[in-house]
Amino acid sequence: MFNYIVRRLGQMLPLLFMASVAIFTLVSLQPGDPLDELRMANPMMTPEQFESLRRAHGLDQPIHVRYFKWLGRAVNGDLGRSRTYGVPAAEFIFQQRLPRTLVLTITSLTIALLIAIPVGIFTAVRQYSAGDYTITFFSFVGLSTPNFFLGIILLYLFVIFIPETFGVRALPPGGIPDLMWSDVQLGRVTAGEYVRQWATHLILPVFTLATGSMAAWTRFMRASMLEVLNQDYVRTARSKGVSERKVLYKHALRNGLIPIITLVGLSMPALFNGALLTETVFSYPGMGRAIFDSLVGKDYNVAMAALVFIAILVVFFNLMADILYAVVDPRIRYD
Amino acid sequence: MQTVERPRAPAGSETLWRLAWRRLRKHKLAMVSLGVLTILILVAIFAPYLAPHDPVAQPRGAGLRAMYFQPPSQTHWLGTDDLGRDVFSRLLYGSRVSLLVGFLAAFSSVLVGTIMGAVAGFYSGRPLRFYVGPFARQDVDWRLPFVLWRVLSWVLIYAALFLVVQVAWTLAERPVRAGLAGEWSPNAIASAIGLGVAVAFAAFAAWRALFSRVRLDLDIVISRLIDFMLTLPGLPILLVLSAILRDPRSGVGQWMYGTFGTASSVVIIVMILVIFGWITTARLVRAAFLSLREQEFTMAAQALGTSNTKIMFRHLVPNAMAPIIVEGTLQVGIAILVEAGLSFLGFGIQPPVSTWGNMLTNAQTYIFFAPWLAFPPGLMIVITVLSINFLGDGLRDALDPRRKQ
Repeated sequence: MFNYIVRRLGQMLPLLFMASVAIFTLVSLQPGDPLDELRMANPMMTPEQFESLRRAHGLDQPIHVRYFKWLGRAVNGDLGRSRTYGVPAAEFIFQQRLPRTLVLTITSLTIALLIAIPVGIFTAVRQYSAGDYTITFFSFVGLSTPNFFLGIILLYLFVIFIPETFGVRALPPGGIPDLMWSDVQLGRVTAGEYVRQWATHLILPVFTLATGSMAAWTRFMRASMLEVLNQDYVRTARSKGVSERKVLYKHALRNGLIPIITLVGLSMPALFNGALLTETVFSYPGMGRAIFDSLVGKDYNVAMAALVFIAILVVFFNLMADILYAVVDPRIRYD
Repeated sequence: MQTVERPRAPAGSETLWRLAWRRLRKHKLAMVSLGVLTILILVAIFAPYLAPHDPVAQPRGAGLRAMYFQPPSQTHWLGTDDLGRDVFSRLLYGSRVSLLVGFLAAFSSVLVGTIMGAVAGFYSGRPLRFYVGPFARQDVDWRLPFVLWRVLSWVLIYAALFLVVQVAWTLAERPVRAGLAGEWSPNAIASAIGLGVAVAFAAFAAWRALFSRVRLDLDIVISRLIDFMLTLPGLPILLVLSAILRDPRSGVGQWMYGTFGTASSVVIIVMILVIFGWITTARLVRAAFLSLREQEFTMAAQALGTSNTKIMFRHLVPNAMAPIIVEGTLQVGIAILVEAGLSFLGFGIQPPVSTWGNMLTNAQTYIFFAPWLAFPPGLMIVITVLSINFLGDGLRDALDPRRKQ
């Protein structure tokens, strides 16, 4: 196992190196120069001044040289400054934006799992019942709905339709509360109010983001449980007279849950893609939105920091899934 | 001359396809979905005859203000959008692009995926001769493609080594020059060592490359490529690629416009979707090939001297067709969803051409005063993708040989 982990870590480095090369190349090949806006803002700029600006930003050098300079700095912890916001890219991404997206993704992931697992078990146990058919139908609907469209529907329902029809207090149409934790520390608002405001802002985005994974995992859990329930050891347990409850939760569920680990580990990229779209619908200033804005605004340092970080996260979660898989299932050995 | 009678299937047995069709017909949801999809495709084909208005025509003349954001009415069944264009007509025309992109992208993804998976599965554990140095001892294959590849591979490898030296020199130039001038700071020493290592490595590799032979397992190459693709953050990469390929100032962009004209935006989006779309099919086909290539009929074909290409695509691919078809169906749905997402963000098909996705651009703001703009395109996406997924599910059951009826 230890050797396996070391070997996998050894494979991760070249993989991440290649990923960062690819990301850097693509981001730098984007149409338009990061300095175009500056030139547009100042029509009096002479070509010589523009050239010296390009040299100052290192843009006169070929891409591969720029990449290695970036890599050299990044390895030393210097990710450059954000051109748009004027703060260090690392601070902007990891301190401002990442926590917000993590709150969004982790809550969605937890909710999706909490709903998908019991519902999946239910549909497997009651296979071909009316409940099974209904849930299967709705999980298909969930899989077929683009998550940004779901977000738009929810926005309409909870921000416009329900308040207008029933006169109930509305959920906010998006964004984040303009409260900071320091406000609580200074005693301007209570901690309860702080949590409540965040909760009302998060409820729609979280539900939007969770639905897709919820639908997929329900179907997956159902298939996994059905396979386990047809195994010999389940029949043996039943014929020994073990109670149905115990068969289900002790014999079947423990084995049926194992493939879910891989699934959750592999769903990280999808979750971040979904976060980008969800954040756009709800104007939620998270990391997905930061990536989008930095790509459009040619803020390369921010884009590189965020995208390479996601690549690292994806590789790390894949590794964790494989390791956990072996820990949970003693039949699996990596030699 | 002897006539060889082709063996016929015994009377009363059915081909897989007829059997599958018979099973599929019993799957009610799949049949309903097939009906819905047929209607959608017909609507897309006959959109010019069905649409009451020109989908890109903007109103002119007096009273313009009243023409924008009209709610649904007798003349405009689904209202008008932010530029006064008829939403219903745009919806009909949008179905053409959305469905075309979906089917084209799925077909191309499955095609690429099948070829990659077939090559990976078939040549797994059988490394091919990949690189032969100029002075390597080896019986040389003088057929033209092999000779060309040999020469090209020399050029590539020496260009790559030159690049290594060049990068090392650019990075180390300034400190090393300073060092040579007499100031040996730690930075200058580190740079000099780095430069030395890079040059030594390049020289060693260049020497080895003259004589070495390299065999390469294509399965390992393709599997690593898939691992690599899965590390990339998908959606942002697609956004960037879309921007690069569409850039009218770049060579690629101009070539795209010159070659494909107005269709270039469809071609671009299909290419982008294929970049990540082939992976699932490739894995599937690879797994199928690993078991199929060990079976007797493959050995029989090999013993008869059939070429590898023919074995792969005439003997093995038809045997893996069932899962490929199911995967292809599901890929249509995925392609439509991804295209919608890209167009929603403004990086897909560009207006004035309408697709269901780009009709939803900015829908999250319009919803507050013109909700009729948001629902029809989104519902069309849901209905289409839902039908495709049900059909794929039905096909999976119908084509599964292990399933007893």
